[in-house]
Amino acid sequence: MSMSTTKSIAWEKIVGASGVVTDKKILSGFSSDAGFTKGEQPRSLVRPRKPEEVQEIVRLAYQKGVALVPRSSTGPRFRGDSMPDVPESVIVDLSGMDEILRMDVRNKVAMIQPGVTFGVLQEACAKVGLRVPVPLLPRSTKSVMGSYLEREPHTIPKYHWDMSDPICCLEMVFGTGDLFRTGSAAGPGTLEQQWAAGQAQKTPMGPSQTDFMKIMQGSQGTMGIATWATIKLEVLPKAQKGFFVTAAHLEDLVDFTYSLQRAKLPDECLILNHVAFASIIAANVQERDKLVKALPEWILFYAVAGYDHFPLERIEYCTQDIAEIAKACHLQSVEQTAGISARKLLGLLSKPSEEPYWKIRHQGGCQDIFFLNTLDRAPSFVAAFKAECKQQTFPAGDCGVYIQPIQQGRNVHIEFDLMYNPQDALVVQRVKNLYQSASSSMSTLGGFFSRPYGLWSDLAYRKCPDTVQALNKVKNILDPGRIMNPGKLCFGKGA
Amino acid sequence: MTLQELKPDMEGCARCSHCKWVPHLQIKSWRYAKVCPSVDRYHFHSYSGGGKMNMGNSYLDGRSELNDTVAQVIYRCQLCGACQVSCQCYRDDIDLADVLLAIRSTCVEQGFVLPEHLEMIESMKREDNTMYMLKADRGRWSDGLDLIDINREKADVLFHAGCRYSYDEDLRDIVRSAATLMKSSGVRLGIAGKDEACCGGRAYEIGYQGEMKNYAEDMASRVKASGAHTLVTPCSDCYYTFKYLYPKNGLDLGVKVLHTTEYTDQLIKQGRLRPQVEIPLKVTYHDPCHLGRRGEIYKGGWEGDNKLARPSRLKQTGKLGIFDAPRDILKSIPGIELTEMERIREFSWCCGAGGGVLEAEPEFAIWTAKERLEEAAATGASVLVTACPWCERVFKDAVKESGSLLKILDVMELLSQSLNGGSHAAG
Amino acid sequence: MLPAKVYKELEDALGGAEYVTQEPALLDSYAWQPALNITHEAWIPRPEAVVVPRTTEEVQAIVRICSRNGLKVKAFSMGWAAWGGPGGPGVVQIDLRRMNRIIEIDEKNMYAVVEPYVCGSQLQSELIKRGLNCHIIGAGPNCAQLASVTSGWGYGWTGLMTGFSGRNPLGVEWVLPDGEVLRLGAPGSTERWFTGDGPGPSLRGIMRGWGGAQSGLGVFTKVAIKVYPWPGEPEVKRGKGTLLDLQAQVPPTHKVFFLFSPSYEKFADVAYKIGNAEIGYVHCKGAVGATFGIFAPRASEKILSNPALRAMIKAAQHCTLFMLACHTERELAFQEKVLRQIMDETDGFLMDASHLPFHGMFAWGTHRSIFPAVAAFRPGGDFLTSMGSNETYDCQVYAAKLSESMKREYIDDGTFIEDMADCTWGGIYEGTSNWGHLEQIGIFNRRESHKAEGRYAFLDDTMKLTIAKSLGFGLSSLGAGYWKLYGPIMFNYHHWQSKIKQAFDPQNTADATFYIPPYDEVLKTEAEEKGKWDKMRSDAMTFRI
Repeated sequence: MSMSTTKSIAWEKIVGASGVVTDKKILSGFSSDAGFTKGEQPRSLVRPRKPEEVQEIVRLAYQKGVALVPRSSTGPRFRGDSMPDVPESVIVDLSGMDEILRMDVRNKVAMIQPGVTFGVLQEACAKVGLRVPVPLLPRSTKSVMGSYLEREPHTIPKYHWDMSDPICCLEMVFGTGDLFRTGSAAGPGTLEQQWAAGQAQKTPMGPSQTDFMKIMQGSQGTMGIATWATIKLEVLPKAQKGFFVTAAHLEDLVDFTYSLQRAKLPDECLILNHVAFASIIAANVQERDKLVKALPEWILFYAVAGYDHFPLERIEYCTQDIAEIAKACHLQSVEQTAGISARKLLGLLSKPSEEPYWKIRHQGGCQDIFFLNTLDRAPSFVAAFKAECKQQTFPAGDCGVYIQPIQQGRNVHIEFDLMYNPQDALVVQRVKNLYQSASSSMSTLGGFFSRPYGLWSDLAYRKCPDTVQALNKVKNILDPGRIMNPGKLCFGKGA
Repeated sequence: MTLQELKPDMEGCARCSHCKWVPHLQIKSWRYAKVCPSVDRYHFHSYSGGGKMNMGNSYLDGRSELNDTVAQVIYRCQLCGACQVSCQCYRDDIDLADVLLAIRSTCVEQGFVLPEHLEMIESMKREDNTMYMLKADRGRWSDGLDLIDINREKADVLFHAGCRYSYDEDLRDIVRSAATLMKSSGVRLGIAGKDEACCGGRAYEIGYQGEMKNYAEDMASRVKASGAHTLVTPCSDCYYTFKYLYPKNGLDLGVKVLHTTEYTDQLIKQGRLRPQVEIPLKVTYHDPCHLGRRGEIYKGGWEGDNKLARPSRLKQTGKLGIFDAPRDILKSIPGIELTEMERIREFSWCCGAGGGVLEAEPEFAIWTAKERLEEAAATGASVLVTACPWCERVFKDAVKESGSLLKILDVMELLSQSLNGGSHAAG
Repeated sequence: MLPAKVYKELEDALGGAEYVTQEPALLDSYAWQPALNITHEAWIPRPEAVVVPRTTEEVQAIVRICSRNGLKVKAFSMGWAAWGGPGGPGVVQIDLRRMNRIIEIDEKNMYAVVEPYVCGSQLQSELIKRGLNCHIIGAGPNCAQLASVTSGWGYGWTGLMTGFSGRNPLGVEWVLPDGEVLRLGAPGSTERWFTGDGPGPSLRGIMRGWGGAQSGLGVFTKVAIKVYPWPGEPEVKRGKGTLLDLQAQVPPTHKVFFLFSPSYEKFADVAYKIGNAEIGYVHCKGAVGATFGIFAPRASEKILSNPALRAMIKAAQHCTLFMLACHTERELAFQEKVLRQIMDETDGFLMDASHLPFHGMFAWGTHRSIFPAVAAFRPGGDFLTSMGSNETYDCQVYAAKLSESMKREYIDDGTFIEDMADCTWGGIYEGTSNWGHLEQIGIFNRRESHKAEGRYAFLDDTMKLTIAKSLGFGLSSLGAGYWKLYGPIMFNYHHWQSKIKQAFDPQNTADATFYIPPYDEVLKTEAEEKGKWDKMRSDAMTFRI
């Protein structure tokens, strides 16, 4: 089925007139983002408010061969995943579906719609003594579902059992317009019947012998549209304490970090270089640059927490156990560095980024490079990246580095934040060059681009033709009309 | 019991494959986790204890027939009993070892016999031994030891050397040492000399159950005639035959039966033997199947239909076999450092020789022995010590073939050296 | 018999005649599969041949040979239970026991890469030396790690710390039914195994869901499995003994407790509080009936027929078997303090078993997951399981209560051996998740074939119960072909799953008896059998306990 280029569809019959945007000027904003990828101008934007509307939209689009590009977050975007790659696409804006449908306190799970942001969810959780693990200072308009459907890492590795966490179940519409629910949400029984039996849509597997939630995750909207998700929540600590461990060399933090993960002592646990750290803390570029100079190059941050039972005693034993580990690694935990208290950073980590978003706060632009590998290899990736910076004459001092242990420390998300002034054409070109060359060299070194946005798709998929073949088979099942975000990942632009 | 009578046991098999593994709580490494040489060597499930029971069900249900291929699977098994130990860790209603013996017997009844086994039986019938040697030469091992000839006078203890020790000249020193040191403790030790005959145990194991009865009766009368109150043997296979197979088949020798290690261990503990010469060796001990788990006394005596109701004290778990006596002897020898392998006691890995395998499948026997040599070497020991002539035979052959640096010694050799001095230290 | 040409091809592909057989008696050692054989038969269809490959390349060759000759393949590792064998004629059984290596243990990054024939005991033994541990499923340490993680489901005693098998794979190597190799995650693009997801969508989603494909979608030849910390000294000292008589000494920071709650509701509360407090290494139901099954099966009938003793034992029914295993004494002291507080809050009491003579054996046996097999097999020689969906623990407790009253009837009519109808086993998983499982196990003597109908009726009743009361999709949902029952009331998952089957196995080479046929066949079967399954579904949805 070829993409429809001539037929217009009466979307307003589904979402009402106010739910359709056709203004070309407004729509032109969706053909680009703050990154380097350029997209196509969409034909229209539709804003469903209910799952039935989503289903109807997809069914109709499938019938008519219209490309759909779903998105749930608003605000600045950087990765190109929610920009159309084919002309005459329709943006499906789910940000208006922003309800917390259900909060089950005993079972620590929230059922949310795509438009729910971290701030909103965190606030609702706090009222009932819970919290949701949060990525590193996401932007305030970032959708929780959007983030975790992209497998964005969060900052508390011990709660990250599987790559799909903290998503439990999904309700979604496949590219055929069929409604589906994953995990225990699939039944048997309606949701109401399940709740009456004590269920809470908490099991993140199935139904039966397939797991379409895993297929949806990381798919960049190429398989279907999720209309709600249940998110695993955690107990809000009664007490917390943050610490830094600093080092001149990243290597010096590696064994210590491994030991912390193995003992499952810390809650939040992440490594930042001085640029990333300063960018998060500082209010402006002057403050940032001053802090960068004052800080050691590498800062490991961790927090220990106490919950409902003897919270302070828990913090005490964790602190002592960690002190012993640190001593064995010839390191020391401190509560402040360069005049910045760990408490301050801890306070920032539980919330979305303050405005302006920390990555663009100081220079206006930021391009990330991120991939997965293991912590023991992180220093070699950092060294290679620095070499690339030198090659491309881009100041390493403008590059943040963020290393996040995930899956309880079994691998790490390694991220380089290339911060730059988008008004400076020369710098922009250098960043583009660096982005391309560094991405390539990270891939050559073994960096696994598990979330292949933009040019990373080519880097990632040329290495695994067997995966490409398999993914296309799955795509042909869930989106046989190839209407869902065509051109992304390893999927072509046509049907 | 016949195979048909054992069908409830076979039907109880859950196909859990525990029979292939060391009892799981005792597994200490990837390398030494397995306990069944047959399935390890030949791979198909049918080679395991459980697999043979499944084949037994197939045969009795009329789904398949016995033929040469199937018989080969059945005979490629040392009947070491490790499968039974592992199975009975948690199963009370399956006597795997009995099933395997009954399967052998069925093969023989149906005419599926191995030529090598047939030769062995012929040798037994002609010359009263399994070694294809002359009966007249049986007592030669004791030349010069001046032991009581029970054909002429009574003895307190009858020493039954067994076929392997009687004829294998490589092992002569061991049996002579054993008899000598027992005699030196003041025991009135008698032998039957050339009138000693095979215990019949091997015949039973290879499926000729009826043959053993003849030898058992012969043995019983010889014991009675000797006047002995105790029968001692250095051969683990004979020990198992006397302690388990005879009573299982309603044959009572009427005397106490001990292995030489049991007997000499008692002598040491009574102070009648004092090992004094230091032997600075690091050794590891191999538990012979027929002295260890198979050497457990026959518990018998339960007649019900449903083994789930059988009291667990009557289950042949192998735990009452002889494990500690040999070890205690070694520990009593000054200078000996005993280090254990992972697969020991009732879950020991078989040497490879038993069940007619040494005779009919020598390559398999050597393969099994080499596996054991590797395990022994992994302990850092320079000597592998055991208490069975069949183990010693196959280990020595495997050492020769593999070029292993391990020395193979018997407990009696080391004890004798420590009592008398000598040159058995590893070089 | 296979055509001679095909047999020869298999021999050649395997490098020798000794690795393939079609001798009927040998084949029957693969066709004897009574365990969890829901038909209550012991024999399953005999394979056409059995092959024993050594390498991934040999597996590929076998799959291709079978595919082009119209044969199916069914692979297993340890091969315990009926679903490991053929579901019908024309199947070649692939016995993976020669693929038995631990390829890599990455201590720092806490994963191990294994081939199919590595059992739980083997892997755990090597891991403990390195201060690590693995998830061992309840069926026991004799089970293959790879099979559970890729193809089974995966409840285990240490789930609180070691998760669920289906959540434990990282990178995977997979021989598809067309003989091609697909590597999931990092091994698809790199030399490493540290993740099984991506690039982009995670194809783990077609490998398995809550349950695995039971060899219905190809053969897995390697998997990287998440491993977990083993707190304390990296060894377990063992003396004599083999199981219940074992002398063992676990690290001093490992302590077993028995927690007694006055009601099922409080029992559930204990579980929630334990999870939320992030304490513990082992949490599961301590089943009093099963305890007798393990330790004194012959005495249990007498003891349980004494009303006073029975009442006393019944009072202890809401028992949690709980173990602390901590990295430091400090951590142990804290966790124990929290545990005692939790028991105070929930009107329960605890017994510290670490002072008792059997503690070492029991703690070690729990770590090595040996007791379920003992409890299930020792009393009667056989067992079946049911219920055990994977959802909130409140839901599991609700399901346990319902199923206990059902099992009581089946004990009273002699179908099952007396175990006080206690819901037998299950616990909470993944620390703070608050989800878990409880399964209802029936123990019996398979030789009593006249009772088979009763056993089948019980399974049927539990299946209906899970549907009627919305108790989740779990162990009661596993019957071959049950997709016909569940699919239409669960968003037609069966259609999507069968489309996966059709896309990846168009020749239907992988025996899908315990998975699902290709889509075309599913549609055909649905049409032909509509009436039967509609009625079964309707009966289930209106089932009254």
